[in-house]
Amino acid sequence: MKHFSKLAIATVVAGITAGSAMAQELYTPNLSYRTGPFAATGIPLMNGQADYMAMLNARDGGIGGIKVNFEECETGYSTEKGAECYEKTKDRAIVTQPWSTGITLQVLPKTNIDEIPILAPGYGFSPMMDGKTFQWAFNTPAGYWDAADMIVQYLEGMESLEGKKIAFLHLDHPYGKEPIPLFEQMAEEKGFELVPIPVGLKEMQNQSAQWLQIRRERPDYVVMWGWGAMNAGAITEAVKTKFPMENMIGVWWASHDADLRIVGEDGKGYKAISWSFPNPDAPVMADLKTHVVDTGMTQSNPEEMSGVFYNRGLIISAILAEGIRVAQEHAGKPDISPSDLRWGLENIDMTPERISELGLDGMVPPFKTTCADHTGGSGGWMLEWDGAKFVQVSDHLVPNTEAYAALVSEKAKEYAEANAPWPVNETCEM
Amino acid sequence: MLYRTAGQFKTSYKADQALFPVRQDAILLMIILAFAWVIFPLTASEFAFQTLLIPIMIYALAALGLNILTGYAGQLSLGTAAFMGVGAYACYKMVTLMPWMNPILAILLSGVFSAGVGVAFGIPSLRIKGFYLAIATLAAQFFLVWLFEKWAWLYNYNASGAIQVPNLEIFGLYVAGPQASSVTQYFVVLGIVTLLTLLCINLTRGNLGRTWKATRDMDIAAELIGINLMKSKLTAFAVSSYIVGVAGALFVFMWRGAAEPNLFDIPLSFRILFIAIIGGLGSILGNYLGAILIVGLPVVLGTVPAALGIPVSSAMIEHLNIMIVGSLIIFFLIIEPHGLARLWALIREKLILWPFPH
Repeated sequence: MKHFSKLAIATVVAGITAGSAMAQELYTPNLSYRTGPFAATGIPLMNGQADYMAMLNARDGGIGGIKVNFEECETGYSTEKGAECYEKTKDRAIVTQPWSTGITLQVLPKTNIDEIPILAPGYGFSPMMDGKTFQWAFNTPAGYWDAADMIVQYLEGMESLEGKKIAFLHLDHPYGKEPIPLFEQMAEEKGFELVPIPVGLKEMQNQSAQWLQIRRERPDYVVMWGWGAMNAGAITEAVKTKFPMENMIGVWWASHDADLRIVGEDGKGYKAISWSFPNPDAPVMADLKTHVVDTGMTQSNPEEMSGVFYNRGLIISAILAEGIRVAQEHAGKPDISPSDLRWGLENIDMTPERISELGLDGMVPPFKTTCADHTGGSGGWMLEWDGAKFVQVSDHLVPNTEAYAALVSEKAKEYAEANAPWPVNETCEM
Repeated sequence: MLYRTAGQFKTSYKADQALFPVRQDAILLMIILAFAWVIFPLTASEFAFQTLLIPIMIYALAALGLNILTGYAGQLSLGTAAFMGVGAYACYKMVTLMPWMNPILAILLSGVFSAGVGVAFGIPSLRIKGFYLAIATLAAQFFLVWLFEKWAWLYNYNASGAIQVPNLEIFGLYVAGPQASSVTQYFVVLGIVTLLTLLCINLTRGNLGRTWKATRDMDIAAELIGINLMKSKLTAFAVSSYIVGVAGALFVFMWRGAAEPNLFDIPLSFRILFIAIIGGLGSILGNYLGAILIVGLPVVLGTVPAALGIPVSSAMIEHLNIMIVGSLIIFFLIIEPHGLARLWALIREKLILWPFPH
């Protein structure tokens, strides 16, 4: 009995110390997908995210003096596994990063009850921009509707779209369908004809039927909302059917270097809108080299590290880190809670000065979030494939968010009504 | 010793025809039910509810539905997921068109729609058999998923094309949607699953079950002794699709909370078919054992390295998990090709004789 009670005390003490040790870290789980059908696009993103946090841990000892525990929970892009990961991590997590539209759809209503911020940079639901309705959800720094607006702006910058025909090649999935309402609205305003061409999940690798339709319709431009194997499929098919590459424009998830490397020179002129850009001369890359690459902590390789996706991963972690820092300053303590982090993510001000302070020069446009605007409207750049890598071909494009503010609030309201009772942020006065 | 059936005399027909005539079976069942109804709800964590208890029961119910058709009536089906989808979409339309409707009633009614669709796609089974029928049900699978994608009315013209479960309440208590607590959802699922399992045990022992089994074992002989094959096959399709449809409604409303059309695609059909085959075709218990192996085990295995403090990356755990579960499936199929239920039956027989085997 004596032994037993000693043992029990030892266990309790160990438990308490372990518990307090655990409290002294920032637990930011990432629902990664390094396995499964989308692994090829997932791995560079996950590596970028993990490396940036590893760099902060090594260089600055974490954020505000405490380490970041950037644990990954593998989902393989499966919604079922994603929900499992969310349940597994939500007790200790200060943020959740769901990484797939399916998982986001499922987790979004739960985070509103569990009160955990959900960070979906550049993906997720465009109406999340309405921070008053989606008080726990963030699609910083730009949403799909921003992308659609910027693409149309870019095209208009070259010539009037009056009477033109734009084919919208998209994945037949919530993600691909999302920009359709906005494109329809713009088609009416600007007088172009929109031809939506869906690609089923089973047809991603064989798009001959879709490209036959494109050849028949003879569109002036092809705008692509693709993901995973669909992008490589579309790009090779476009090359095969001799579609002029300079008239094909993708969203930021269709800007994976590996997809273009398959066609190489033939892909010259292909464009994609992006809110991130690889800058090998940025100070952060030098820091990554000393603290992460040279110490052997990275799972990445030089080729991957020069690509758009790896660098986007870095930016995503930088946004989260900045949110944490702002939250720590506001809360006055390094060990922040999920609701502190929400305040932080709502008050990120990425000015050009702050971007250079972080060593991210030229890698992300400036943006600013508020409690009413969870996107921040960073805008982006048009990138073009030059045969070997992506280069910038436009100035900083800024989306004209006023043009679809009504659509955002309408869709946000619809969502809140469908999910009533849906708690909204009533204290936000903006 | 533990399982001695000697000395358990039955003195009435009623006692002889009880669902569990052996006393130890009944005691074991009582223990399991006590765990399910009392001990799990009191002790389980949110994680256990969401990743183990609720999904295992829903998958087991779907496999039970398939087992009625494939295991009892001998009609191979590859369209289970699509029939689950019919149940889920029917339930979604009912609760959004008639918000005053009791959600549990809606779930139970949604099975009626999938039963109708199931019978329609079951008609070819009167003329074709075996693998050819599997192809016909595969057609149902592809057609229905396509329909879920294209028929916008089904998902209320949502821009995303997905259905999202609204908050539904019964007498002020949320049972579905993000506001509902896991315990409530667990009890709803448990109640429906218990009810339907009881129904199936009785159905398969009765007249209908015997006609199904006769059809399965040799349809010409069955026809010759006066069994109406059309009735037998179509009732199997109807009952099976009803249960699968209810499982589909539970799947989305009590567990997932949202669904996109491709959720009901062929991988889900195969998953349920695996549960039924590994658990044991033509058995009720097997569906539960199969679901525990296929749905529960990966979740438990995934938490082991972290619990032991072994630093392995989560992608590695996922790879290991797939390999371990895969080899376990092969292992169980080698030691007992007739499934886990048969394995349990053998163990039980040995236990009855133990410690004096002859």
